[in-house]
Amino acid sequence: MTRTVLRGTAITARVGLALGIAVAVCFITGLISHFIQHPQPWFWWPTRPVWLYRLTQGLHVISGIAAIPLILVKLWSVWPKLFERPLIGGPVRQLERLSILVLVSSMLFQLSTGLLNIAQWYAFRFFFTTSHYAMAYVAAGAVVVHIGVKLPIIRRALGEPLDDIPSGELTGPTRRTVLFGTGLAVALATVVTAGQTVPWLRRVSVLAPRSGQGPQGVPVNRSAVAAGVVGAAHSPGYRLTVVNGDVTRRFTLAELIAMPQATHRLPIACVEGWSVQAEWTGVVLADLIATVGGAPDADMRMVSLEPPGPYSRTVLPARHARDSQTLIALRLNGEPLHIDHGYPCRLIAPTRPGVLQTKWLSRIEVLP
Amino acid sequence: MTAARTALLVVGMAVAGYGALLLWENPPVVILRIAVWALAGVVLHDLVFAPLCVALGLAGRRLMPRRWWVPVAMAGFGSVVLVLLAVPVYSRPGARPDNPTVLDRNYPLGLWISLAALWVCVLAYVALARWSPVRQDGVVQHQRTGDVDGQPPTG
Repeated sequence: MTRTVLRGTAITARVGLALGIAVAVCFITGLISHFIQHPQPWFWWPTRPVWLYRLTQGLHVISGIAAIPLILVKLWSVWPKLFERPLIGGPVRQLERLSILVLVSSMLFQLSTGLLNIAQWYAFRFFFTTSHYAMAYVAAGAVVVHIGVKLPIIRRALGEPLDDIPSGELTGPTRRTVLFGTGLAVALATVVTAGQTVPWLRRVSVLAPRSGQGPQGVPVNRSAVAAGVVGAAHSPGYRLTVVNGDVTRRFTLAELIAMPQATHRLPIACVEGWSVQAEWTGVVLADLIATVGGAPDADMRMVSLEPPGPYSRTVLPARHARDSQTLIALRLNGEPLHIDHGYPCRLIAPTRPGVLQTKWLSRIEVLP
Repeated sequence: MTAARTALLVVGMAVAGYGALLLWENPPVVILRIAVWALAGVVLHDLVFAPLCVALGLAGRRLMPRRWWVPVAMAGFGSVVLVLLAVPVYSRPGARPDNPTVLDRNYPLGLWISLAALWVCVLAYVALARWSPVRQDGVVQHQRTGDVDGQPPTG
């Protein structure tokens, strides 16, 4: 009975520890992304280093994908417990089984919906962001309860030597081999997907939803056609309207180009985990706001040419609005902005999710 | 330790309860869909995937010499992970005509190449383990005195 010897708390606890770390990283980075998009008064998000969101959201997807092989091995190590007698048992046992059901189902829910979402495959008929966010608390809470219930077993198992298998019973792989194989599978899963945010892995990330290619060397999440802005963006009547209370100024594209230009290398990092570094050129937002006398401690509302929808208008916090690297970009990697990247002009700010870097800007409002 | 455990249980239940509360804000039909999706994962794993793995494991043990078990199990597991990661991209179900920058790789080719590379590594490992005397010593050293199986081939 090698299997029952190989399976056991020595492996469950160690793989569980790795899975716990992956889940913790995934949960915290996910919360960061959520609170950037749904700001709360207590939430503080810096503008430096400029790649901070690229890092946190890249980690969110990488740790989630790493959790897939980890959870498979973890479930393998405890699967026979599913059939342990008594199957039903008393209320305490039923409660324990229920808590495990909540734990496993919420974890599988998070990993499966997340994996589908990065490939933009909405096979489920519920809204991804809200259900993924809500279920994250269920999963994280279930993990904490599970650790609380199993703490004595975890401590004992982590203290035990890994090779403590009765002699003569070892007829197949050792526990060390199982852990080594788990590590290899995690490495494999990472290598074949992480290239969508780690440039030097691009060529080997054969299963990454993004190759990192796109017009002007940058992928697109929402095209101009999908946003329905092609006509408005190319209209000769286009103006960028900047409003501060009673003061309103309108800029043609030529007027924006005539203003002092700044160039910064900033990453564009999508909530779906892909990111690329790019060179953006345009007007510093603070300079534009100065033309209408906006205060440096004011938030800005960015309004797109796109018809009203969840991301057609966003609020840029004052800290980012006054940052010297926050641009109303007119050029990308040395060329006039491609229409799918937000022509005539778009917002690009450090440490912000791509979905909030409003494209096809039509209006900037200084909020009171 | 009791205090720590109690704290973990209380905090965990509060966090999970908050999540349940957020889920509860959905209309009943959406809650049902979410529950079905979550439970389907458990059923698929516990009653389809896991028994299939056990059956394959038992069959593999009967059909393969012992020195193949570890590398084949590892490559098998790696293949499962690759196939799972390929599910949402293989036939590009999320692709849209207006945006060619999503799902812009040849995923069937990528999956088959990565599977082939994985299994070539296994074959190479088995071959090395067979022909390298150091490997054989390593195997012997790993065994206990009571272990009479798995002796290196003589001659």
